Amino acid sequence: MTAAPALEAPTRPTPRRRARSGNTLTAGSALGLGVAVTWFSLLVLIPLTAIVITAGERGWAGYWDTITNPQTLAAVRLTVGQSLLVTAVNVVMGTLIAWVLVRDRFWGRSVLDVVIDIPFALPTIVAGLVLLGLYGPNSPIGVDWAYTERAVTLALAFVTLPFVVRAVQPVLGELEHDVEEAAASLGASRTTILRRIVLPALVPAIAAGAALSFARAISEYGSLVLLSGNRPFETEVVSVRVLSHIENGSTASAAAVASLMLVVALTVIVVLDVIQRRVSRHG
Amino acid sequence: MSIDVRNITRTYGDFYALDDVSVALPTGQLTALLGPSGGGKSTLLRIIAGLDTADSGSVSIEGVDATKLPPQKRNVGFVFQHYAAFKHMSVAKNVAFGLEIRKRPKVEVKKRVGELLELVHLSPFADRMPSQLSGGQRQRMALARALAVEPTVLLLDEPFGALDAKVRKELREWLRRLHDEVHVTTVFVTHDQEEAMEVADEIVVINGGRIEQVGSPDELYDQPANDFVMGFLGEVTRLGHVQLRPHDIEVAVGPGRAGAHAGRVTRLQRVGFEVRLLVELESVEPGREVAPVSVSVTRSHAHALDLELGARVWLTPAVGATTVPAMVAV
Repeated sequence: MTAAPALEAPTRPTPRRRARSGNTLTAGSALGLGVAVTWFSLLVLIPLTAIVITAGERGWAGYWDTITNPQTLAAVRLTVGQSLLVTAVNVVMGTLIAWVLVRDRFWGRSVLDVVIDIPFALPTIVAGLVLLGLYGPNSPIGVDWAYTERAVTLALAFVTLPFVVRAVQPVLGELEHDVEEAAASLGASRTTILRRIVLPALVPAIAAGAALSFARAISEYGSLVLLSGNRPFETEVVSVRVLSHIENGSTASAAAVASLMLVVALTVIVVLDVIQRRVSRHG
Repeated sequence: MSIDVRNITRTYGDFYALDDVSVALPTGQLTALLGPSGGGKSTLLRIIAGLDTADSGSVSIEGVDATKLPPQKRNVGFVFQHYAAFKHMSVAKNVAFGLEIRKRPKVEVKKRVGELLELVHLSPFADRMPSQLSGGQRQRMALARALAVEPTVLLLDEPFGALDAKVRKELREWLRRLHDEVHVTTVFVTHDQEEAMEVADEIVVINGGRIEQVGSPDELYDQPANDFVMGFLGEVTRLGHVQLRPHDIEVAVGPGRAGAHAGRVTRLQRVGFEVRLLVELESVEPGREVAPVSVSVTRSHAHALDLELGARVWLTPAVGATTVPAMVAV
């Protein structure tokens, strides 16, 4: 290098996060980390490992047999498919509801704000009962969706409703209004402002809400028991399938199916995380 | 006239933010809207930009009636106190925003962004994110972004309000030089009289939703229309029946001049090159309290007069001093 760099010239864009430089833990944070890891291991890592080990009890062939069983595959297809569908619906509807709650002033707003959490707070079996009342055989509006695939969609949509709303709401509330005004004075139309300024700022929150919503959907059990009728190949979801394996005394089969769902859950969460990072970096 | 504001009134409930305000701002100049917080100056600026709407009155920009135009159609550049950076876009993308939504060719956008970043001395930072910039740099980015669309007028709302004193001073000198280069009609809001006096060609003093006075910094300082303007643009003290600036009082150590007020120095404070005195007048009318007069003299002058605490002095308004009649205190 011949010329001295100008005072303000950066050598290269500084990375947001610095590379880890060895162990910088103080005694206090070492204790904290220890407690956190122990707790997490006891609750999550060790039981998950146990599941995987149990799943392998009958060897690779037994494992493969269990998860390629047509009834199991149908259950997996139904669960993952419906969960993805419901998550997609939540991304749109949840963002919309959050928008209305944050940006609009109307009578009953604070009531709606509280009511949003009800699907989350209700015991899921009660949720099933509630839905059965309106969309079941004795439906007052004449819509009988009980024991059909639509019942599964409905139940999953009901219990996962709050996740995207609650993730997006605070972020939308914190969004500075002058940013949108700046875009407007630069000539951006309302849709352009929404598409190029507001939504990119919301993407991380939407992705986080979507991940929660998907995770909740694939694990749903209570509300489906009543509403879907658990008909094999039609409305039987994975969690019900796991239970029936256990009831038949086959813990290894149950664990095998469980481990498959573990992989699915991990994949979706990682994919959503990648999307979120991509978007927040490029805008 | 570049911006013509006529009979603008804006109320928030019972509160009159602007009360029948009319002002014309000339083309190509740098104008300051100066006044205390809550005086309506920001509201006026936002109404000019179309970010706020007036209850009544009209705004025209370069002869075009803009009263009903949305902000998108006014071709106005707006700079906010807190930068309003697009946080998820790089510096270059921020500056390019206005051009991109106008669907200008990529090559042209790139060239123009390069020029603007050069203008605001941010070329090395083009690929950084706004969060990696200092406050002053972010505000320069916001300025480049506003200038990118070649606005008819550039409006700045307390542009240096969120910056620390040193950066503030640097940036306002820089803004003045930038304006001399770019010549776009510029209006900025400030509550800092020093900032307004230093940067602006013309100052509009706004207080309580009304315009108190419009004029050049010198006019305002030397011929204030009323005691509010006088008080807002600099320090004021009262000597006898007039209000005047502390440095416009002549101090003598002996009687002799007609109309001199005799008094005693009760406080003497040295601040850099100046010496500030508080002089308690010997009341002409016994029994009536008169507030002590503050006087400011140069340090060498204070030495020459051999002023010290408790000294007896005679005060007269300097020849050619700016004075306004004092309100009679009851």
